Amino acid sequence: MPVRNTHNAANALEVRGIGKRFGGFWAVRDIDLTVRPGERRAILGPNGAGKTSLFNVLTGDTGASAGTIAMFGEDITRVPIQKRIKRGMRRTYQHANLFDSLTVRETLFLAVAGQRGGWAQLLPLKTSDPRRIEAERLAEIAGVKDFVDREVSDLSHGQRRQLEVGIALAENPKVLLLDEPAAGLSPAERPKLSALLMSLPKNVTVVLIEHDMDIALQTSESVSVLHNGRLLAEGSPDDIMQNDDVHKVYIGGSHGH
Amino acid sequence: MRPAGYLLFLALLPLVLNDFWLTLVATRALILGIIALSLTFLATYLGVVSFAQATLAGVAGYTIAYFGPNTVGVGFELPFLVSIPLALILSTITGGAIGLIARQSRGIYAIMITLAIGVAFFYFTRQNYALFNGWTGFSGIRAPEIAGVSLRDPAALYLLSLGTAALAMVLVAGFVRSPMGLSVQAVRDAPGRLLALGIPVTTPIVTAFAFSGFLAGSGGILNIWYQERISSFSVGLGPIIDILIVSVIGGLRHPSGAFVGAVVFVLLDTFAVDLIDRERFNTLIGAVLLLIVIVAPNGLQQLAKDGFGRLRQSNSNATE
Repeated sequence: MPVRNTHNAANALEVRGIGKRFGGFWAVRDIDLTVRPGERRAILGPNGAGKTSLFNVLTGDTGASAGTIAMFGEDITRVPIQKRIKRGMRRTYQHANLFDSLTVRETLFLAVAGQRGGWAQLLPLKTSDPRRIEAERLAEIAGVKDFVDREVSDLSHGQRRQLEVGIALAENPKVLLLDEPAAGLSPAERPKLSALLMSLPKNVTVVLIEHDMDIALQTSESVSVLHNGRLLAEGSPDDIMQNDDVHKVYIGGSHGH
Repeated sequence: MRPAGYLLFLALLPLVLNDFWLTLVATRALILGIIALSLTFLATYLGVVSFAQATLAGVAGYTIAYFGPNTVGVGFELPFLVSIPLALILSTITGGAIGLIARQSRGIYAIMITLAIGVAFFYFTRQNYALFNGWTGFSGIRAPEIAGVSLRDPAALYLLSLGTAALAMVLVAGFVRSPMGLSVQAVRDAPGRLLALGIPVTTPIVTAFAFSGFLAGSGGILNIWYQERISSFSVGLGPIIDILIVSVIGGLRHPSGAFVGAVVFVLLDTFAVDLIDRERFNTLIGAVLLLIVIVAPNGLQQLAKDGFGRLRQSNSNATE
């Protein structure tokens, strides 16, 4: 039986007994997760397994119905989304809902600048503004530097995904939660995204929901598998590949069948 | 022609236009255009159509009337160097307050809230005598003299209106490139996403409304110098609808379209009565507006843009 409500500051994320209920239905229930700083953790599961519900609870988009969440030892279960962001948590969304009329550079600038600046926020942006330079650095990391002046509405789906990652990297996040970054990508775009995920700064803890098992296993060092809202299996990518329960859930048969 | 070229051309108009054209068409169109710009700015960059822009212009106008020379004996006189900034401050604050009230509304709901505020202000001015002198309002208001030049002079008021319009366009262009301006556009595109970046959406909305209050207030000050009076009718449903019509003609999604719309509106309003029976001139105005809306649903500015685009395309095809 795990000890609840005592959190280890050495862990980037420590989730104990978390649950999310919608009416009488538990979308996720009794989930325990421990993610070390700098770890790459994939959360796998078939449709309806509760991956996005778990993510929404972790980021504060929806409140938890049970359990506790700690980030670097601090309980954030009841901390609102904006304060979680200030503490270094960032996420991307499954459906890239971006600012279509802004350029890539402007979008990244907003992610970097936030709401700081007082009255200076009313003045036009200078080209030498350090926040603008930081936005360009993020564009380079996310692989969108070649079209920084293009409007977001003109980007391909894959480029929008890359931009999402760039936004999430603003202000040096400590924990990055990526919600199905490969969703909707063409086979040609997937290797590019995998390369981007693998090139993320090593000091950033990354938790990744992914439907595409290849990308998840390739980019992560540990995997948690959800099924029907509960934790089914946990381990290294190799362990998960060999796990019969996981194979039953994903392909309806045991390993090797 | 570059914007500076247009500005120079317009600045030279007093040399060729008589006082009728300069005052009743050019100056009136510029003033109406500045007030309509406050609406097209909100519609373009925040995605909100506000019916309270005549109210904001009225707040500034009433401030000038109350704190300036008038013939009704209400209010007290302050130097113009005080009353003008005060009028702009009050219209800006009122704009911000309207933004705060309407911050969670979009589409028809924002229209209803701002319309309700506009109509409430109209009835308030009719019933309040201490500040607004009831439905008769203020008359005998005189534009000030600056460095020996009276702003009652048609050319002087025209040039001041032109300068204000140019400054307003520069301010809008600067604002939308500022960090706050980017936040305003982000609120329009995806408010939830902005929140997920840790940026609250209320501040950009209130700031955008306050800025539109500043623009409308600038137009309101010029308007009271132009009209030399203000009453409840200046902030009633008529002016509210006029500003909307001007904005729609020019193109709600084109800030500078406000001035195109204002010219068309003023020409129609001034000359329709000469083209058709006095009893029917409003019908002619309505018919022309209907035609514009059908032919150019995105406004004349967009129609011209599309036309030039097609022309360029056919020219480049011809040269290939």
